[in-house]
Amino acid sequence: MIVVAGTGLVGTHAAEQLRRRGHEVRSVSHKTVNEIDPTLVEVVLLAHGGDHARLARRFLEADCHVVSVSDETKDVLALLDLNGDALAAGRTLVLGAACSPGLSGLLVSYLSKKLDDTDEVHIAVHGTGGPECARQHHDVLSGTALGWHEDDWLRRPAGSGRELCWFPDPIGSRDCYRADLADPLLIKHAFPHLARISARTSATRRDRLTARLPMLTPPRVQGDMGALRVEVRGSRNGERAVEVAGTAHPMAQIAGSVAASVAHELRRQAHFGTPVPPGARALGDNTLPNDALLDDIMQAGVRIQSFYGVQ
Amino acid sequence: MKLIRRALLALSVAGAIAATLRLKGKSVVPPQQGGWRDISSSK
Repeated sequence: MIVVAGTGLVGTHAAEQLRRRGHEVRSVSHKTVNEIDPTLVEVVLLAHGGDHARLARRFLEADCHVVSVSDETKDVLALLDLNGDALAAGRTLVLGAACSPGLSGLLVSYLSKKLDDTDEVHIAVHGTGGPECARQHHDVLSGTALGWHEDDWLRRPAGSGRELCWFPDPIGSRDCYRADLADPLLIKHAFPHLARISARTSATRRDRLTARLPMLTPPRVQGDMGALRVEVRGSRNGERAVEVAGTAHPMAQIAGSVAASVAHELRRQAHFGTPVPPGARALGDNTLPNDALLDDIMQAGVRIQSFYGVQ
Repeated sequence: MKLIRRALLALSVAGAIAATLRLKGKSVVPPQQGGWRDISSSK
């Protein structure tokens, strides 16, 4: 059985996708997930707001695979610390299985194959899933943004570093800023050779101005249109080259589809006797079936596009 | 007069440093125009 903890937009979408694939799924609120007998659970998908590390530890100790959609930096660091627990249990903990992080890692893996070697990854994200995700987006513009720059973590104020990024239609161009995003941490975890990693999120002047205040308007219950843009730089045939890919869909659909595909793949591989190696893994990690996951996400209706440009 | 000379010196030093950094930077020019096309498979 697969348990989906979280009954928001992302959790609901993921549970629906898993049911369509024929899995036995139980959707519960994160407040009632402790009432479930973990011995009946093969995979637990944590798709609720708030911290995931405590629940992830509990289910790993009960020999369950865990998929987390958390994109909150402190929570992701706590989840990375569960690597030892996952190894001891012989189970896989997939972190940041949403849009950014999540699909971003899969696109880095996909684009890297088009280059001889890669050294830079630059990610931009637009939009929010459900209300919890919108609150998270509000907070990320007021903290410290992490980026990897030539063998060191670069800390810059969130909301700085404006860059005009082009997303697939219908989103188009948006001003994007550094933010307290977990993507650089997980991209570095999955691709340790990279020399530069940055992540930005789109924001308006009002977003930046009110980032340090409580949210002035309540988040939209039905979520937002989202988009992701991943730019990979490296070399091909001895020359510098850039590859770009992205997507534009309702954010909850992207995040839910990625989370469902990861849970589906973990269960499928375990059933075929080819389990994913245990430990804490980020999408894009070469021990994960990244191609199969990306194909599965596309089959679930997420349209992935690549940018063809003239330099 | 001395103040103007100092200001001009500071500006030219700053300009020289900026030019050096810009020329030595290894960033590539990202695509400036183009469009998006669908990817049908990861292969």
